[in-house]
Amino acid sequence: MITAERKPMDEIRAMIAPYKKLLVLGCGSCVAECAAGGEKETGMLASTLRMANKMEGKEVLIQEKTLDRQCVKDFVILLDDVIDRYDAVLSLGCGAGVQAVAEMFSEIPVLPALNTEFLGETRDQGLWVENCLGCGDCMLDDFGGVCPLARCSKQLLNGPCGGSKDGKCEINPEVPCAWQAIIDRLDRFGSLDRLERIYPPKDWSRKQGGGPRRIRREDQQR
Amino acid sequence: MLILDNGVCPSQQGKALFLSLKTRASVRARFQNRELPSMESRMSSDPKEQAGPKTRAAREKKRTLALFYCQNTPESDEAHRQALEKRYASTLKLFPIACSGRLDPLHLLKALEEFADAAYVVACPEGACRYFEGNLRARKRVERTAETISQIGLEKERVGLIANSKENPKPLATLAEEILDRTGLLRPSPVLHRPKRGRGTKEKKDDHSRKKTHG
Repeated sequence: MITAERKPMDEIRAMIAPYKKLLVLGCGSCVAECAAGGEKETGMLASTLRMANKMEGKEVLIQEKTLDRQCVKDFVILLDDVIDRYDAVLSLGCGAGVQAVAEMFSEIPVLPALNTEFLGETRDQGLWVENCLGCGDCMLDDFGGVCPLARCSKQLLNGPCGGSKDGKCEINPEVPCAWQAIIDRLDRFGSLDRLERIYPPKDWSRKQGGGPRRIRREDQQR
Repeated sequence: MLILDNGVCPSQQGKALFLSLKTRASVRARFQNRELPSMESRMSSDPKEQAGPKTRAAREKKRTLALFYCQNTPESDEAHRQALEKRYASTLKLFPIACSGRLDPLHLLKALEEFADAAYVVACPEGACRYFEGNLRARKRVERTAETISQIGLEKERVGLIANSKENPKPLATLAEEILDRTGLLRPSPVLHRPKRGRGTKEKKDDHSRKKTHG
């Protein structure tokens, strides 16, 4: 899932200041899971902004709505009937969602209320951790399901740095040493011999440098 | 009794709460039109149960407290709730919830936005929640709400959570009065009581709304 956090309130208020009719738009997918942009958070932000405007005597229309997903056109199109009521949209979607809405309704400013952070998992209730960089060349089978690029602070491919202590990273003691996890996992599978392989420097061209990536599946298209 | 749009009694769990919270005007109208139970005659004339001076002052200033309370609170059944609301009239709005853990920050925010000068929660003592962690979650949510409203210039004290005593739990009426006394010290909410503009003050035109370019 994609994780995000709400921008500071001052920054949001500065962004929306020029507008008199605002739609606060939530997303029911990833950002709902990380409690940043779901229906609840959208309602909270809209209510807070309305109160702020009332305190300043500003007459601003602020309404809220939440789509199941902001990154899929079939959901975004549902705004077609209502979008003309507003002169700006404050989106609580991830960066992909904000841009998808902006592309469909190109004549209305779509403002980001969130800072999109990383691809990650819900490790525990209220805790989300990064575990994938979206490199485009997954090697998890070689590392027992633990990504050395996303989860090792030094992104080492050929073994631990030797600086870990009690299974924790020397750079950030809150972070479990990825290579400890890799070795433990491969040991459990009886596949420690995989570590004898030498990995060359990561080819990042699958991730960046070639412009925005795309996937096309003709069997999925009309 | 507060009747919500779907006709569900608020004493039922979860969904009945805040399904459609109306403006102050419509809430007041509903209160004026409802019938009160015969419990009126059972209202105590005990001076201890009379509103304190600060509460009377708060009433005079017509400030409103939205009070959410766990249904486990002593003497908080429907009859007591109605009696309390009658005693405090528009100063106090009571919302029973199955557990303080059911409370969402949005409930507090909507109350502050639409009618309340303050919004508080009454929870069970720590370690005594029938759902184990509900009161702990409620406390964190109230703290988050306080942080949120402080970001727009509202006092954090406009929201709060009061945990009942484990050894000597107080009835709802006592807790309500204590909270009214506490919140009576706050100024009227600037959300609900906007300062009047002086004569000759013109509102600066800053309408940046985009004009449609297509038909």
